[in-house]
Amino acid sequence: MKTIGNGRIDDAVERGALVDFTFDGVPLRGYPGESLATALFVSGITDLRKAPRSGTPRGMFCLMGICQECVVWIEGRRQPSCQVTLRDGLQARSGTIAGLES
Amino acid sequence: MTGLSFDTAVIGAGVMGASTALHLARAGMRTVIIDRGAICREASGVNAGTLTLHMTRAALIPYAMAGRQRWIDAPIWLGADVGGRAVEGMSVAFTPAEAEMVEQRAKSRREQGAPIEVISPARARAVEPGLNERVILAAYSEIDGYASAYLTGRAYRAALVAAGAEIREATAVVGVDRAAIDRTGGGFTIRTATGEVIRARRLVLAGGVWLEQMLGWIDVTIPVKCLINQLIVTERVRPVMRTVLGVASGLLSLKQFENGTVLIGGGWQGIGDTVRGGVEAIPDNLMGNMRLARYTIPALAQARIARIWLGLESETSDALPMIGAVPGVPDAYVIGCVHSGYTSGPYMGELLAELILGKATSMPLFDPARLVTGGAPVRSGSVA
Amino acid sequence: MTDAALMTNAADLLVIGAGPAGVGAATMAAEHGLDVVLIDENYAAGGQVYRPMPPGFARRGSPGPDAAIGDAQRELLARSPVRTAFGKLVWSVSQTFRVDAVGEDGPTHWTAPALIAATGATERVIPFPGWTEPGVIGLAAATALLKSQQMLPGRTTLVAGCGPLLLAVAAGILKAGGRVAAVVDLASPVDWMSTLPALASRPDLLARGVGWVTLLKRRGVPVLFRHAIIGVRRSAGGLAATIGPVDAARRPISGVLERELSIDCVAVGHGLVPGTEISRIFRARHRFEHSLGGWIAERDRTGRTSVGGLYVAGDSGGILGAAAAFQQGRMTGLAAARDRGRIDPATFDRLVTPIERSRARNERFGRAMSGLMAAHLGQAAAIAPETIICRCEDVTRAELDAAIDEGAATVDQLKAWTRCGMGPCQGRMCGDTAGALMALRVGDRESAGQFTGRPPLRPIPIDLLTGTYDYADIPIPGPAPL
Repeated sequence: MKTIGNGRIDDAVERGALVDFTFDGVPLRGYPGESLATALFVSGITDLRKAPRSGTPRGMFCLMGICQECVVWIEGRRQPSCQVTLRDGLQARSGTIAGLES
Repeated sequence: MTGLSFDTAVIGAGVMGASTALHLARAGMRTVIIDRGAICREASGVNAGTLTLHMTRAALIPYAMAGRQRWIDAPIWLGADVGGRAVEGMSVAFTPAEAEMVEQRAKSRREQGAPIEVISPARARAVEPGLNERVILAAYSEIDGYASAYLTGRAYRAALVAAGAEIREATAVVGVDRAAIDRTGGGFTIRTATGEVIRARRLVLAGGVWLEQMLGWIDVTIPVKCLINQLIVTERVRPVMRTVLGVASGLLSLKQFENGTVLIGGGWQGIGDTVRGGVEAIPDNLMGNMRLARYTIPALAQARIARIWLGLESETSDALPMIGAVPGVPDAYVIGCVHSGYTSGPYMGELLAELILGKATSMPLFDPARLVTGGAPVRSGSVA
Repeated sequence: MTDAALMTNAADLLVIGAGPAGVGAATMAAEHGLDVVLIDENYAAGGQVYRPMPPGFARRGSPGPDAAIGDAQRELLARSPVRTAFGKLVWSVSQTFRVDAVGEDGPTHWTAPALIAATGATERVIPFPGWTEPGVIGLAAATALLKSQQMLPGRTTLVAGCGPLLLAVAAGILKAGGRVAAVVDLASPVDWMSTLPALASRPDLLARGVGWVTLLKRRGVPVLFRHAIIGVRRSAGGLAATIGPVDAARRPISGVLERELSIDCVAVGHGLVPGTEISRIFRARHRFEHSLGGWIAERDRTGRTSVGGLYVAGDSGGILGAAAAFQQGRMTGLAAARDRGRIDPATFDRLVTPIERSRARNERFGRAMSGLMAAHLGQAAAIAPETIICRCEDVTRAELDAAIDEGAATVDQLKAWTRCGMGPCQGRMCGDTAGALMALRVGDRESAGQFTGRPPLRPIPIDLLTGTYDYADIPIPGPAPL
């Protein structure tokens, strides 16, 4: 199997055309159908939020929508990013909860 | 098995029983507190923790104020912080009918000493910027607040141990026998499901919704109604409110804790009973409760609910407490069925302890004799 | 709501979970005349093992064995009269089998006289210092990354834990052109060898496993048996993992031969835990079955629980693997059809026998794998005090131990005293470890208990549940007395 340099595996699937999305305002690209969490991961963005009590960075963990570690804000709603499918123009923000003491 | 002998046995380790036992133990009585479950894990551990005067029965205002202060001062007298915080509180109105209720409630509570004033919608929104701008009137009290009910058990347990009280959790009582008045001076024999037999001179029944069955052990009939309250808590949310809020109808209690979670309550009913406990929530009632909460603080739309649970609340036929000596049974006492019982609980237990210790009580108690009916007592052997 | 819409919300049978067990159950029940609604939060059937391709991906070449099975099951479902409800997240199940869910377009619900819970399993990860660092992911997560998202976990990945997923993930990374720093396995070669007789019941899967082992050997990947991750920390290049040897009880042997590896991803997993959220909500009888992953609802051979009308199928009733899950599902679907009077007992016996044989074969294999994945109390015992146990609430082992010292005697009490389990994952990540830590102090898992099961089954956005409404729409009962 071959890998595309950024961690995507090339051989077994054909992906659609790249789409644009943002995370905390940073412009990124990914393929339609990928989950937001993994598209961020393979783009080198592993820190998705800070844990509320300790302030430590957290990122995707279970990839099943269970652990809630990959929760981010997408257009006013908190969602596990591993359960969100990438689409063109998607805007997401870090899942850190503002205004809480850590 | 020969059981231990105590000055007082308290059956039911919620805040009522635990407070009573704590003050008795601190006063030097050999005290045992018995519960079929864990300490403060029924209503006392799962209620919304609201320390408000707005929804307290008018007659209970002075007790609620005293109880509230004790929760806030818990680190001093109880030895642990149960999250008791003093914040302002409001009861808001969105309709003319609710506005009238706000006025009426405020007036009757003011008469009992609660510092509640009726304020304009503009002032209400200044006090609580996150409030729905469609509020038309509000009752305001500087004296309000909340505690974290789930911290109650750990705090009381440590305090009881420190005070030298014996604790019997996971110990279901199957029956209580009254000893014949003889040279030993009477008293009670408590038979438990673990096989332990506990003897005590005095008996305090503090079993909340199970008080009707408990009083049946000593052949007294007092009907007790059991309410099944639904509670909802969100995951942590950015600060969206700073006061304790209710709606004039009484059907919303809303507060945000320091950790960011928002607790939604208000007495919406679920399914359950004294035998099965809380069984499940009713989806339409969850919906009503959540809609009311979101209407009041619109920012809650973005929050996710994380947990839903049920709590059993007791109520007597006249909706007032029963605290005092059990009529016709020497050395037996009962405490419970207090609306907003969590708020006043620490004080109510203190008062009953005063009575049991032979002192004059700082405030009047609530004579259980008025509630005794002529019916046959409920005789289930165990409330388990 | 029109009468027609109301009617479609009622069914003969609801099946929650469209993995192999759910698909097997739903299609079989429908085949025998039941009106079945199959509900899953994903957009197509497959569950975790037979996960569908992401929408927008097109496969090149022939599908791998798991993809082929998944396709076949999705095809079976498409050809059946089962009513599917995909993209629906179930958040509440009532004692009267009303199931409430939310989708993109808001809330919905169904009712039926019978319900099959086929919700699968979650991964167990026994905590270690640094396990919350971004870049540390589950073995099941790494599998999803490789097979479904078609991505590598990292440039160099440490694969650790126990069970067959270790080999699957390590081999998958190598085949995709990635590097595996090491495979760190709690088990010993003897533990693996002892599974061989059972593996013979599925020679195809055995051959696949042997192929993985051969590949690892050929590429010179160090495989360290009886080793564990001692800790992970952030480093300049990504992550630094300290690994060291463990004894037969799977406790680290301190001070001996620890080494540090530089990687950018850690894929770690210690087996699977059956998902009992639904059976716990019903207060069905459960027992702790260590060899099958932990707490499971007591069931008869066709999946009936102690609650009438409630069935459990697949890994949510005990970890036996995907192949056994499909067969088990089919048996449960047949049982539901029989219980609802669609087939008579004689027909049931005739139909169920060949399925049971096939299931038994797969179960032999599945049990051997579960044995490798079973957790040992020694692992929990060895967790360092400063380690986070509850990820959501950052509750450490030291805090849990202090609460137990003060008298907390069940996991529910532990939860009330420390907030462990109160966060948005609802105790799924910490529940098994909290139970193990409590069991170490109170004697056994049964005494330690489980977290009480309650809705919501997942965190649910309030706006999605409450919808659009006016104040007058809120059904306010009478006001409280003055």
